[in-house]
Amino acid sequence: MIQLAKRVIRQTINDKRSVMLILVAPLLILTLVYFLLGDSDYVATVAIDRDAVAAPVITALEQQELNVVGLTAQEAEQAADYLQHNEDVDAVLRFSETSAMDITLYEPSTKGATAMSEIQKAMADLNPSAETTISYVYGTQDQSLFDSLGYVFLALFSFFFVFIISAMALVRERSRGTLERLMMTPIRRGEVIAGYTLGYSVFAIIQAVIIVLYAIFVLQLSNEGNIGWVLLPMVLLAVTAVSFGATISIFAGSELQVVQLIPFTIIPQVFFSGLIPLDLIPYHLGNLSYIMPIYYGAAAIKGIMVYGDGFTEIWGHLAGLTTYALVLYLINTQALKKFRKL
Amino acid sequence: MDIQLSHVKKSFGDTSVIKDVSFTIAAGEICCLLGPSGSGKTTLIRLMIGALPPDSGTIRFGDIEMPNRAILKRLGFMPQNDALYEDLSAHGNLKFFGGLYPIPKRTLDARIKEVLEMVELTGHSQKLVKNFSGGMKKRLSLAIAILHKPDILFLDEPTAGIDPVLRRKIWAQFQSLKAQGTTIIVSTHVMDEVVECDKGALLYNGRLIEYDTVNRLLDKTASGRIEELFFAASESEARP
Ligand SMILES: Nc1ncnc2c1ncn2[C@@H]1O[C@H](COP(=O)(O)OP(=O)(O)O)[C@@H](O)[C@H]1O
Ligand SMILES: [Mg+2]
Repeated sequence: MIQLAKRVIRQTINDKRSVMLILVAPLLILTLVYFLLGDSDYVATVAIDRDAVAAPVITALEQQELNVVGLTAQEAEQAADYLQHNEDVDAVLRFSETSAMDITLYEPSTKGATAMSEIQKAMADLNPSAETTISYVYGTQDQSLFDSLGYVFLALFSFFFVFIISAMALVRERSRGTLERLMMTPIRRGEVIAGYTLGYSVFAIIQAVIIVLYAIFVLQLSNEGNIGWVLLPMVLLAVTAVSFGATISIFAGSELQVVQLIPFTIIPQVFFSGLIPLDLIPYHLGNLSYIMPIYYGAAAIKGIMVYGDGFTEIWGHLAGLTTYALVLYLINTQALKKFRKL
Repeated sequence: MDIQLSHVKKSFGDTSVIKDVSFTIAAGEICCLLGPSGSGKTTLIRLMIGALPPDSGTIRFGDIEMPNRAILKRLGFMPQNDALYEDLSAHGNLKFFGGLYPIPKRTLDARIKEVLEMVELTGHSQKLVKNFSGGMKKRLSLAIAILHKPDILFLDEPTAGIDPVLRRKIWAQFQSLKAQGTTIIVSTHVMDEVVECDKGALLYNGRLIEYDTVNRLLDKTASGRIEELFFAASESEARP
């Protein structure tokens, strides 16, 4: 078993692409996600007909982080038209005769949302009684989407890259005939899968440490809990990914087929990993999450990073993940019977 | 330890690939499985070593019925395809496969050196296998098969794609392994190689058409060429 683990490690190190995929790719994508979901300093542009809007409203708007531009009464009438022709303007603000506010936005987007929230702030300044205060049980208002969803990516990456590498290595092992040769030595069936898992666990641990340190210390991902506890579900996820990869390799005839199976193996798990709140999913489809390993890992990581949980709160999810890995281990050991009955 | 096959049958789906094969390979002999491509040589070897279960019939190594894990220690197998780890060096491959057998580390290291010399790869031992030529891969694969000094050695087309000079050297090695008491089962579709062997088992379309000492097989032919026996088989099969 140790022999096999050592071989997996040496083999992976000798294949530069595998090393890059495990150690560098997650950091690269995480950085990209950081810029995509992170706070942007976007300043929205709002157009108003300066002649039709009361002076205090204009002043209040100009005091916010907004670009205020003027437009003619006629342009204001055809707000939709105006927005289509002026792509740098996000919103047109008008007041009807009853002085009700009428806002036209180009499309439902984060730019529009920024414009909206700044307009609301301006209105609150004018009329302090209309001010609303929002507070959160977990997190704060100025947290970015990256802060609230970052944990999902930690879970996805711990699973995905190890899964791809190990599934491909095992498919190669089948198609090249090395697995048959291996099974003609006195090695036990259980040792084959255990050795593989052990070998990749080494990379999983290194990967988890690098990702977590990078996310928390370089990208400043907010973390309420203990970093050590974050590592545990990440490594467990990677260990499960090796077994998952081994199981998928039974159904894949070539390395290309591993990639072709991704829509069935990985993509559904992404949706159930926390990107979409599970109780919003109709027809109780949210319960499908219980058959998805990434769900358990993501839930545990979320508990630690967002709610500040410790082991007592997350052990259920860790147990779920461990059970998953054990069941797959047994399936894989049985599947090797195809090569050798004993 | 004799190898006895008795009424072994194997089909893949509807196609019957091994049709009721029975014969006994005596310990210490070189037995050649001879037959055209697709005649079932690889399948028969995989049945013998227990990589495939037979549909019916039995395979015994001495008194032990296969498959059996204890036998695997005494068995060497060189598959038809290379079955090597391309991302490891020659030394890395040998070290890995050797490590799966109960061999003390120091003995193993010495033995790795020895087999690398035998197959003339000493100078390339640190090179990654993916940079090897076809012939070098074959030789490394052979080195792995003989590394743990097996009592019974199964070789599936070991000399395919190897140049004549090296082919002769490899056969000389098989003879010296035989002299040390190893039983060798070797498959080939090159009819000339049969003269190196003690016994010849002729496979045609999954049927064992002849099994005898090589001398007696050659006596049965008019021209002294073993192909004749296959021509006869193909004619008798063509007749209704
Ligand atoms: N795993 C398999 N599944 C289906 N058919 C197979 C399989 N292995 C071999 N065969 C078929 O069995 C026949 C004998 O193949 P093989 O034993 O490889 O012959 P040889 O080694 O003599 O060239 C061929 O027709 C081949 O297509
Ligand atoms: Mg063959």
